Amino acid sequence: MEYEVVMGLEVHVELATESKLFCSCSAKFGAEANENVCPACAGMPGMLPAVNKRAIELGIIAGLLTNCEITRTITFDKKNYFYPDLPTGYQITQLYAPICRNGFVEIETGAGKKKIRIKQIHIEEDAGKLVHDYRTGSSLVDFNRAGVPLVEIVSQPDFRSSDEVIAYLEKLRALFSFAGVSDCRMQEGSMRCDVNISVRKAGSKELGVRTEIKNLNSLKAIARAIEYETDRHISAIETGCEELVQETRRWDDNSGETYPMRNKEDATDYRYFPNPEILPVHISEEWISEVKSGIPELPHEKYERLTKEYGLSDYDSKLITGSKNISDIFDRTMEYVNNPKEVANWIIGDLASIAREENVPGDEIRIDCEKFGKVIKMVENRVINRTIGKKVLQLVFREDMDPEIYVRENRLGMIADTGYLEDLVREVIAANEKSVLEYKAGNQKVISFFMGQIMKRTQGKADPAAVNSILKKMLS
Amino acid sequence: MDREFFASRYETKTDNSFALDDNIMVRGGLTTAGSKMLQNFVSPLQATVVDRLLDAGMELAGKTKIDELAIPTVSEDIFATLSGAAGAVSEGLCRIALCNDVSGKNRRQAPAKGLYYIHPTYGTVSRFGLVPAVSSMDQLGVVCRDIDDGFNVLGIIAGHDEKDFTTFPEKSYSYAPKEGPFRIGIPVNVMEAADEESGNSVNEFAGRLGAEKFELKYFEVLPQVMYILSCAEIGNNTSRYDGIKFGYRTENYSGLNDLYTNTRTEGFRPDMKLATIIGAFVLSKKNYEAYYLKSMKIRRLLREHADELFSRFDAVVMPLRLKDPEPYRNMALYAFATLCGLPSVSIPFGSCGLQLIAQARNENILYGICKGAVKDGI
Repeated sequence: MEYEVVMGLEVHVELATESKLFCSCSAKFGAEANENVCPACAGMPGMLPAVNKRAIELGIIAGLLTNCEITRTITFDKKNYFYPDLPTGYQITQLYAPICRNGFVEIETGAGKKKIRIKQIHIEEDAGKLVHDYRTGSSLVDFNRAGVPLVEIVSQPDFRSSDEVIAYLEKLRALFSFAGVSDCRMQEGSMRCDVNISVRKAGSKELGVRTEIKNLNSLKAIARAIEYETDRHISAIETGCEELVQETRRWDDNSGETYPMRNKEDATDYRYFPNPEILPVHISEEWISEVKSGIPELPHEKYERLTKEYGLSDYDSKLITGSKNISDIFDRTMEYVNNPKEVANWIIGDLASIAREENVPGDEIRIDCEKFGKVIKMVENRVINRTIGKKVLQLVFREDMDPEIYVRENRLGMIADTGYLEDLVREVIAANEKSVLEYKAGNQKVISFFMGQIMKRTQGKADPAAVNSILKKMLS
Repeated sequence: MDREFFASRYETKTDNSFALDDNIMVRGGLTTAGSKMLQNFVSPLQATVVDRLLDAGMELAGKTKIDELAIPTVSEDIFATLSGAAGAVSEGLCRIALCNDVSGKNRRQAPAKGLYYIHPTYGTVSRFGLVPAVSSMDQLGVVCRDIDDGFNVLGIIAGHDEKDFTTFPEKSYSYAPKEGPFRIGIPVNVMEAADEESGNSVNEFAGRLGAEKFELKYFEVLPQVMYILSCAEIGNNTSRYDGIKFGYRTENYSGLNDLYTNTRTEGFRPDMKLATIIGAFVLSKKNYEAYYLKSMKIRRLLREHADELFSRFDAVVMPLRLKDPEPYRNMALYAFATLCGLPSVSIPFGSCGLQLIAQARNENILYGICKGAVKDGI
């Protein structure tokens, strides 16, 4: 029997504002517990919400990037539930007049291009965080995140495979991070995703029983959870050994399984109602076009620039524009080395492989681009050879070393003195007569053996081009 | 007397002093809002109105007692005790007092003590630093002995505050009595339900000014509308009192649900609990449309009715007491202005006073009528 999986996504993205949604506390990640908290975001009485204009602008941008209609008069509502990380006992969100509606995102997978429809995007405040101390059995609450602005992007049930889900999330991440809507870091929780999933027989028009999967913290976890949940649904349908119920399930990344959290019957009644403390906000045509004109270069625009203006390959341009971080490193390094092809080669070749060795994903590579640029320039100007260049880059990456000082102090400058190199080559040839004979018999590989010997004697500092031509001359 | 009307008393050097209901915050001072839940709550912030009065050179005389969170109630007779604000002003313990009169207690009781109560248009005075009760109706008003004094103080506290999103954009207000003649309306159906004493005051007043009769629509259902909407908002505004971060916490709990339930069971009075339960009921998915939404609709219709009325009248005059002593039924009298966010003034006329209500932002009409009444010796 053929089955079709039907999925819809709810993606939460923390907006990259300086301050929180309704107070002036910093919205930055990584502060000491309860450092960014004021009476307002601690839920104290007497405080009233003041809407962060930038959050609304970022909401507008999110809508423009996903081809949504922007609602001209938006309102905020209150969603009631008790939980210790929710200081006021209600979350301010948008139910009745969300900021964006009816959009779409075009994705590309191995199966081709496809449009995923967006139902709506709404703005809301985040909750705090509970930390459980299992030794004492107590729980502590950190309100730093409470009141941080989010947008929730609700898709239509248009996904049919985990590939599509991943492609969509990567697309959203690229769009939002390039446009400055959010840094979209899943591991820091600034991008979170819940998957609504059901399975039906292929060709059927009726939807199957739907479950919602939560606690998905990486793209890998999402793909695994979808696979697990799909299998669970199919085996339930086929064997009948388990009854499928509409429920919310929690993904456990360690066991690789989902577990029931709550079902439809004990679903919370959130008692939504319009927030009387916030008057409706009007979004004018002028405001939208002002916001629109301020959107920075988007991935596809940058791709055009890289391929057309800089003549970079399709492959290189896609890699560079696939991550906001890599793309920023490219731009910043270009300020020091005006050679796009060289910079692209260094990023995609050397920098990427160094990062891989250190287990740092592309989005998290941090490097001083001025120093990176210096390394490239030193190689370009034949101050050091490329092999040494890569070693120096490694140190810049790991220890933020100044490459010029390091090269000078460790005498790593390239040896290009022809007389000195000729002497060395002569010594090497004299000591390896057998190899010389092999070369003369037609074995070209011997050249690299000799090169290795020279490099060994110069601690890798010899000018490879010079050595190469001397070798060829002397061996013939 | 201090102890009768004040929850906490401050030292003053002059007579130029104001009292605040104990739900208005003074930095570093106790703000109990009349609730065990906040019995030890030291305010980390200060209400905008307090800053403005202090800047104007007035002194804080104290925090006057209120019923729990100043909410409208049904089971307790809140009218049986005198409001702290009216008590303190009438006894000369302070020059004026500020209160959030959603329940109607001050507009009912001030005139009986020979005082005025001025309730400004919703959005005139910042509510930053006011412990919220019913956010869509909360508005600070002034209890005063003298009408000029009252409008003078209102002029000090009124004006836009960036910390309260709902305040009007006007930075400042200065009130001056409007000149008559005024067209006054008197609601016949309300007068039929008024108690005799209260009705007589209104009739006499209306007779002297010349008033035209009309029927106040939706009067019968105003208590329900008022109660449904206020409970919804009260339940929401008080969910922050959960024993987690501040305020009262039960000593008797094991686990989270216990902590919530016992804290709130011990911390709130019965009418408060009833309000939160009714609030949850009317906002639940099943009942939202039948109760909350319907009430909102009536509120909108009432507002439209008010617009129509004030195209014919400069102000309407209303009694302050019904034949039926039930506090719940009496809410109908105070709900019209509160639900529509209209300005009203309670006037000490006759034995138990009356109230005048005008179109939004027409405080100067009310001021003018009051001044005329004083001049004519009414």
